[in-house]
Amino acid sequence: MNNWKSFLQWFRHKWKEAPLFSTAIALIIMVILQTLVLGFNYDSFGSWFQSWLNNWINILRNNAGIGIIALGMTFVIMTAGIDLSVGSTLVATGAFAMILLDTGSKGILAQIGITGIPAFIIAVVIVIGFGYLLGALIGITITKGKTPPFIITLGAMMIFRSVTQQFMQGYNPTLPMDFLQISNFSIGGYLLMPILYWAVIAYILHYVSRRTVFGRQVIAVGSNEKSAKLSGVNVDKIKVRVYALMGILVAIAAILQVTRIGSMDFANAGRGAEMDAIAAAVVGGTSLMGGRGFIIGTIYGMLIIAVMNNLLNLFGVPPFLREAFKGLIVIGAVLLQRKERTA
Amino acid sequence: MIIEMKNIRKSFGSNEVLKNVSITLKGGEICALLGENGAGKSTLMNILGGVHQTDSGTISIDGNSVKFATPAQSQEAGIAFIHQELNLINDLPIFENMFLGRELRTKRGRLDLERMLHETKEVFKKMNVLLDPKTYVSDLDASYKQIVEICRAMMMNASYIIMDEPTTSLTNHEINRVFSMMRALKSKGVGIIFISHKLHEVMTVCDRFTVLRDGNLVAEGNIREVTTNDLARYMVGYEVRTGSLLKEKKLGTEVLRVEGLSNYKDYRDINFSIRAGEVLGVTGLLGDGRSELFQSIFGVDKPASGKMYLNGKEITIKSTTHAIKEGIAYVPRNRKENGIIKDMDILENASIVTWPTYSKHGILRIQKHREEFAQQRKALRIKMGQETDSIHSLSGGNQQKVILSKWLMAKPKLLILDNPTQGVDVGAKEDIYNIILQLAEENIAIIVLSSEGQEITRVCDRALVMYHGAIQGEVTGETMTEHDIMRLATGGSLAQ
Repeated sequence: MNNWKSFLQWFRHKWKEAPLFSTAIALIIMVILQTLVLGFNYDSFGSWFQSWLNNWINILRNNAGIGIIALGMTFVIMTAGIDLSVGSTLVATGAFAMILLDTGSKGILAQIGITGIPAFIIAVVIVIGFGYLLGALIGITITKGKTPPFIITLGAMMIFRSVTQQFMQGYNPTLPMDFLQISNFSIGGYLLMPILYWAVIAYILHYVSRRTVFGRQVIAVGSNEKSAKLSGVNVDKIKVRVYALMGILVAIAAILQVTRIGSMDFANAGRGAEMDAIAAAVVGGTSLMGGRGFIIGTIYGMLIIAVMNNLLNLFGVPPFLREAFKGLIVIGAVLLQRKERTA
Repeated sequence: MIIEMKNIRKSFGSNEVLKNVSITLKGGEICALLGENGAGKSTLMNILGGVHQTDSGTISIDGNSVKFATPAQSQEAGIAFIHQELNLINDLPIFENMFLGRELRTKRGRLDLERMLHETKEVFKKMNVLLDPKTYVSDLDASYKQIVEICRAMMMNASYIIMDEPTTSLTNHEINRVFSMMRALKSKGVGIIFISHKLHEVMTVCDRFTVLRDGNLVAEGNIREVTTNDLARYMVGYEVRTGSLLKEKKLGTEVLRVEGLSNYKDYRDINFSIRAGEVLGVTGLLGDGRSELFQSIFGVDKPASGKMYLNGKEITIKSTTHAIKEGIAYVPRNRKENGIIKDMDILENASIVTWPTYSKHGILRIQKHREEFAQQRKALRIKMGQETDSIHSLSGGNQQKVILSKWLMAKPKLLILDNPTQGVDVGAKEDIYNIILQLAEENIAIIVLSSEGQEITRVCDRALVMYHGAIQGEVTGETMTEHDIMRLATGGSLAQ
């Protein structure tokens, strides 16, 4: 009885004080719910577990790309910024990867005689470099022009997609089959590669955010730009680097996307990605006012949204209503976290 | 007319803020309410203003017991509370501000601007205020804002006014304006409670004083019977020195020399130099350009013309990062906006400057920062809980010490302190002065920017006095007095 009481006390304290506690609890509840829903349909444990695992691998794999973008978005939001251009950067970098590796007559690398693994490596490096450039360009425009990130990235969102579509008009590159192994290499019969990339990047970024000068300066800039500058932080440099990091991560997500299916719909791919990424970050406890953000939280946020989609699917909720539930989750999460900020 | 608060007790959680305090306030007198930060002044006044309720104890006005559950009830009883952060809307004219929240309306429900304007004029006339009620509040200086608040209180027929540190952001001239207003109110029979840290102001304007310490009433009486030293002693509980703290010392080589520095907006043609171990004061009235000048020297923005020499070599500081590399440190004014980073804990706030210094390949060495901070914490006598507590858990003085420690950890050769004792209580002030002198002995060149004459005369070897962006004159050593400083700061000269 006493144990129960102290557990309750501990729970109440954590709920009030620990920043990600309520988010984690929400995620656990949803996973339990989802497991129960799945569990009722199977008799033997083995086949139930198999199906549970497959379901999870699917969820994670489907969300890896946007999950990686959400990690970058967390950094951007931590500086009190925003990046609306991620969906368009995704098609721009994706298109660039396809042009580089096209097996047809126009393929750039094939034309200069580079094929196979070296071509893949070069293409990946160039595409990531391209994402870095686009992101840095956005960052430099924001800092040098002293303009709100919302405006600059809104403009970039329109420009990048429009130019890509014009450029790729009537051109359908095909990728070498081996290149698709980047996403589709199977480990023990499971397609785990995208999940691994996501996990590795998340781990690195978590470390960067907590333990590096850059990561902490990002928080300082977002929390109080003036104080940060007066403490010797090069505010402009930090901001440019954050948007450049965002560009790199979007390029990686673009490579994952084109290698999963071998093609990309330049008109629609990545549309709404910015909102999904922002939603994941916000559900995970990142403050749009800057100065406060959690990489782990963004993963929780991404998973909560993903599991909810999966549940709605299992319950047979009509697809049109799913966005509404996503909206409810975002609002609910922020209301839950409000207590922490006022306390 | 008399307000009596008897045996007031108030706790927040386990924290007992007021322990059986009784005070009396009479109409027609100005009573100073003194105490260090956290002594319970605000809580006591918030109880009188209806913001908080007492745990036990009684309040009575003219012998009738009263209870205030809301600020509105307190207002109705004739008590006006003028908070430190003024309650005015900049984008509205004065007369609309006068009726904020209780606007007059015509029969058809529209705002009755005519009548509001008329009534405002009446009050201004009665109070001898020469302001056009149609002026926008954004065009008023801080003292007139304060005066508008006072007039608003008078319009609501307040017979008691609580003023919470009304003079902190005012220049001397403006302070005098507010004081004459207070004296006028007093002669009309209004009782005023004046909360302030500035003891010499208390001496000039108040009739009586009440001192709180740790939630207890420790002293009260007539101002005429005490000195500032007495008041300071009551507040901190031990003897506080007000004399000069300077000692004989030998100065080192020149650290910084500035020639003809101008940005033509805030400051112009600035020339001075400072040597190792020297404490140079820079003072003047609000808006004299000294903060902007030293922020330029620290690399926040570039001066338009002029030369800077650091350790004898000409240098252009490109950024704050560069300034730190060159051994310059700048403790900014307005700690809340420019100093602390609210989302970070104490240790992070204390180590932000030295993150790049100690890091290896961009990775923080937190253990190193902990060790360094532990030393500073001891040396500066910072009162705090855990390193990982929020910076907000500290009092103003201790926050300031944390800011100071982050710069000391960078081991600067030139330390610029901009209003280092702003919003800091008497005890912590002494600590900070001692730290400054200690650092000077360690051969650091120190520049203290302050508008408090006493601060300058107590810790500085010499001082530059600025007036409208230019150096008006210099005062040194024995001849350095608050009187001379004020003469220069108001545009006069020392020559008789």
